[in-house]
Amino acid sequence: MIPVLRLDGVSFSYGSVPALADVSFDIAPGERVALLGRNGAGKSTVVRLIAGLQRPDEGTVWVGDWDTRDCAPEELARRVGSLFQHADQQLFASSVRDDVSFGPRALGVGEREVERRTDDALEDLDLTPHAAHHPYDLPPALRKLAALAGVLALEPALLVLDEPTIGLDRALRARVTRGLLERSAAGAAVLVITHDLTFAAETLERGLVLDRGTLACDEPLAALLGDATRLEPLGLEPPPVAALSAALDLPGRPVRAAEAARELARVARGRPAP
Amino acid sequence: MRSLTLEGVSFWYPATDSPALRNVSLHVARGEIVALVGALGAGASTLLLVAADLAPRVTGGRLTGSAARHDRSGIVLPTPWTQASGMAFSVWDEVAFGPANLGWPTHEIARQVDRALEQLELAPLASRDPVTLSGGELQRVIIAAILAMDPGLVLLDEPAAELDSDGARTLWRLIRLLAKEGKAVLLATSTLDALPEVADRVVWLEDGAIRAVGPPDLLADVAACDAGLGTSVATVWRTSGLPGPYPLTVAHALRRWR
Repeated sequence: MIPVLRLDGVSFSYGSVPALADVSFDIAPGERVALLGRNGAGKSTVVRLIAGLQRPDEGTVWVGDWDTRDCAPEELARRVGSLFQHADQQLFASSVRDDVSFGPRALGVGEREVERRTDDALEDLDLTPHAAHHPYDLPPALRKLAALAGVLALEPALLVLDEPTIGLDRALRARVTRGLLERSAAGAAVLVITHDLTFAAETLERGLVLDRGTLACDEPLAALLGDATRLEPLGLEPPPVAALSAALDLPGRPVRAAEAARELARVARGRPAP
Repeated sequence: MRSLTLEGVSFWYPATDSPALRNVSLHVARGEIVALVGALGAGASTLLLVAADLAPRVTGGRLTGSAARHDRSGIVLPTPWTQASGMAFSVWDEVAFGPANLGWPTHEIARQVDRALEQLELAPLASRDPVTLSGGELQRVIIAAILAMDPGLVLLDEPAAELDSDGARTLWRLIRLLAKEGKAVLLATSTLDALPEVADRVVWLEDGAIRAVGPPDLLADVAACDAGLGTSVATVWRTSGLPGPYPLTVAHALRRWR
């Protein structure tokens, strides 16, 4: 099977400032991948390369069987939906609904299909009540969600999301998690850049870590997030649920809240009440 | 000694009928760190805009009640990239922009800029062009630029949003240090797990009104957990069905478990 995304020996510099050096990885359909690392490690550069906004200095970025070097960003948008770090810059229409429907309409999808995709994306993120609002009447966190809805409405094979949960409360984060799990179950690959390791633990299954422009780590996310000694040199620390599981030595060291609660209850039943 | 006093503040954004803040009374003392928590739309960001004298002065709208600042304030918005001057070609000059506009003498500008860069561990980036920075680096530059103006009242909206673990740790430590120096800090955050180590008081906002005020232990209350405002550890405890009171942090949990 052709991977949805393949980075093959990719290097990139901003002038004299190196950003990525010889980075290679594949992502398969339906995979949910976290791209982690310190500020300035090169994560957002990966997003820009995948979206075709930058071209690699060396190596190749493949989106399916397309070499991004041969594709304009608007062509790549048929396969890649990108949410950028400062998503304010992605909104331009005078209502949330118009903004979300712009993408599928620009892809040339029929009007009924545009409506369906727009409704689904708004519904997935609980934005239906805000559909008629002007995006700039919404708080920044909801603007980011509106931009995310626009990306979901493209129904791309690959979703690339840069910090999708900033400023979101727990209920909305859970909504984003649910939305991404649904898209992934339907076959879309998901690549998320985030410092929110609690969200990553709940949502994603594989962890890539960039360290000063090189790929330092590629493994199941739960194992990585539970291992404080390996996270520390990468500038990461275990999210609280993983730290709790480790501190109490819960069986299986769960990193997701529901699983940790279940294990905690199970272990507590077998011992005197704490 | 108070730095900020809000008395019975209600606020309406332009062309809206329902208020974004409802009868909020709150004071922040010098040397104190107060954290605003709440669901999205609860009013935390609006309260910070009022505290900064940006609402209604810049946003428009209508305010009733009184908001008194006893110190000069500086605010870091949740969209810090919109706060860059866009007129500086180095991080150092960007951070100097605010102090220069205050008309300070050159040596005082330099002293404050160097100090702020140091505090946010930005000295190695001082000569970088701001447009080449990552999101998290830029967020730290904007925080430095605000602190370089030496505000007595520091207002921070999601200040750790784009920071990595090291950056967030540095920031929270710095906030404690600022309070120790006598600055008043009022911040809004959805990073609830950081608050037990940082905040002196937590203010829980709901639908524009204050629902509860208390020490960070508030974030282990049953009601807070059920409203999605418990710390991760408290929420896991609550979900597990174990009896309360719930531990607030991993350290608390470990003590109770043993």
